[in-house]
Amino acid sequence: MKFSGFKYLIGQGVDNVWKNRMMAFASYCVLLVSLLLVGLSVLLYYNVNSIIGGIEEKNEVIVYLNDDTTDAQLEEIGTLLAEMENVAEASFYSKEDAFLSLKDSMAEYEVLFESLGDDNPLVDAYRLRVKDIALIDETITEIEKLEHIYSIRAPYDFVNILIQLRTILTWVMGAIILAMIIVSMVIISNTTKASVYARREEIQIMKYVGATNAFIRLPFFVEGMITGFLAGCSALVITWLVYDSIVGILQDQVALLSIIGMGSIIQFSAIYLEVTLAYITGGALVGAIGSVVSTRRHIDV
Amino acid sequence: MVELKNVSVTYASGVDALNNVSLKINDGDFAFVVGSSGAGKSTMIKLILKEIDATSGTVTVNGYNLSKLKKRKIPELRRTIGFVFQDFRLIPSMTVYENIAFVLRVIDAPRKYIRKRVPYVISLVGLQAKANSYPDELSGGEKQRVAIARALVNDPKLIIADEPTGNIDPELSYEIVELLKGINECGTTILMVTHEHDLVRHFGGRIINITQGEIVFDEVIGGANEI
Repeated sequence: MKFSGFKYLIGQGVDNVWKNRMMAFASYCVLLVSLLLVGLSVLLYYNVNSIIGGIEEKNEVIVYLNDDTTDAQLEEIGTLLAEMENVAEASFYSKEDAFLSLKDSMAEYEVLFESLGDDNPLVDAYRLRVKDIALIDETITEIEKLEHIYSIRAPYDFVNILIQLRTILTWVMGAIILAMIIVSMVIISNTTKASVYARREEIQIMKYVGATNAFIRLPFFVEGMITGFLAGCSALVITWLVYDSIVGILQDQVALLSIIGMGSIIQFSAIYLEVTLAYITGGALVGAIGSVVSTRRHIDV
Repeated sequence: MVELKNVSVTYASGVDALNNVSLKINDGDFAFVVGSSGAGKSTMIKLILKEIDATSGTVTVNGYNLSKLKKRKIPELRRTIGFVFQDFRLIPSMTVYENIAFVLRVIDAPRKYIRKRVPYVISLVGLQAKANSYPDELSGGEKQRVAIARALVNDPKLIIADEPTGNIDPELSYEIVELLKGINECGTTILMVTHEHDLVRHFGGRIINITQGEIVFDEVIGGANEI
C-alpha cells in the first residue's frame, strides 16, 4: 500500500473516533475500568511479593540449643542445619555473644547482670536464613527432628498470612485479568459492531469495487487503537494518583513499616516506565483487536 | 469477457437457481439480461462477482477462472468490474466527488491521478455542476449517473448494471441507457439487467432471457430506434 493511501486510512480512523464519539466513549470507559482493575491488582501483587521478599531477607529462624550440648555436637548440628535444602545460611550465635548483646541493650539495668556474675543464663543458638519463606513449616519440622534442640523461634504467623494473601491474590488477579480482557473485548467489539453496522453499506461498496480486507479494517483498527491509547493514558494518571496516595498513607504507619520494612513498598517512580508501557500498549492492543474482530462478520461479501 | 459453461447453482435451501447455463459475452458487447424476478438474474451477477460459487460448471470473468480463484484474489477480480446498483448505493456522508474518488482510493491510485480522473468522469456523466453536492441533494437520475461514474472511474473492462433504471423516472431511463451505450462504444463490455421490456425494445441489441434458471432466449434484435 502506498503511503498516501495509508495516510488516508489512518485519517479515516481518526475521523471515525469523532464521528462515533458516543460509541468510542463507551469503549473508552470500559477499557479504562478494565485497565485500572488489572493494573491495580498487578501492582498490589508486586507489592505483596516485595514485602514477602523483604521479610524473607530480614527474618530469621533462631534455633536454640540445649545447654548441655557439647562443642562437637554443636558443630554437627551446624553442618546438618547448613545442609538443609531450604537453608541459605546458618551462623552460630554463642551464648556469650548473646549475653554481651543483651547487656548492651539493657545498659541501665547493669545491676541485674552484676548479680548474675559469670553465670550466663542464655543458651547457644544458630541463626538461619531461609531460601523460600513459603516452605518454612517444612523446614521447622525438619529441624525439630534433630537432637539437642531447645526451641525454635520463627516469624510464623505473619508469614503465613502473607503467603495466603499471595496465593489468593494470584488467583484473584488471574481471574480479574482474564475476565477483564474478555469483557473489554466483547464490549469493544459490540460498540464497534454498531459502527460497522452503521457503515455496512460503505463496506459493501468497498468490497464491490475491490477493496482488500486490510483496507477496510485499517480504519477500524486505528479507531480502536486510539480509544485504547486514550484509556491507557487516563488509567496511567489515575493509577499514579491512587498509588502515590496509598504509599503516602502507608508511610505514616510507623508500626506497620517496622514489620514490613520501608524498602519493601515499591515507589511509583521506580516503576513508572513499565506501568506506562503496559497501560498504553495493553489499552491500544485490546482496543485495536476488539475493534477488528467485529468487522469480520460484515467483511465477507 | 464473461463465459459460463454448463453452470448450475443450487442453494443450500435446495433451490435450483441456475440450471446448466452456458453463455458467452465477448469484450465490447452490450447485452440486456431480462427475466422475471426469481428467474436467476441475481444469481448470475453474484456468480460473476464471486459472491457465490457455482455448484458445477466453470465461470470465467475477464480472464479469471472463478472456481480456481483464491479468496484473497477476489479484490483483484472485482477491480476489473464496475457495478451499478438499482438503489444507487452512494455514501450519504460523501459528496459526489468523494463518492467517486473513494473507489480510486480503494485501489490505491496515486493522488495526482485521482485529482485528474475524477473530474473527467464527472464530466462524462454531465454532473460538473454537482461535484460538491451530497447524494440527498440529487434527483434519482443524477444519483444513478454518479453511480455510473463511480463504476467507470477505475476503467473496468466490464460494467454490470443491475436494474439501473428501476428506481428512476421512465423518461430518465433512456438517458441512463444511452449513457451506458456511450460507455460501451468506448470499448467497455456492459451487462445490463432489466425487466423493462420497453427499454429493451427501444434500444435493441443482444437480449438474454433467463426464465426459471435457464436461458430461454439469446439473440440480437433490432431496436425500435433503428427502424
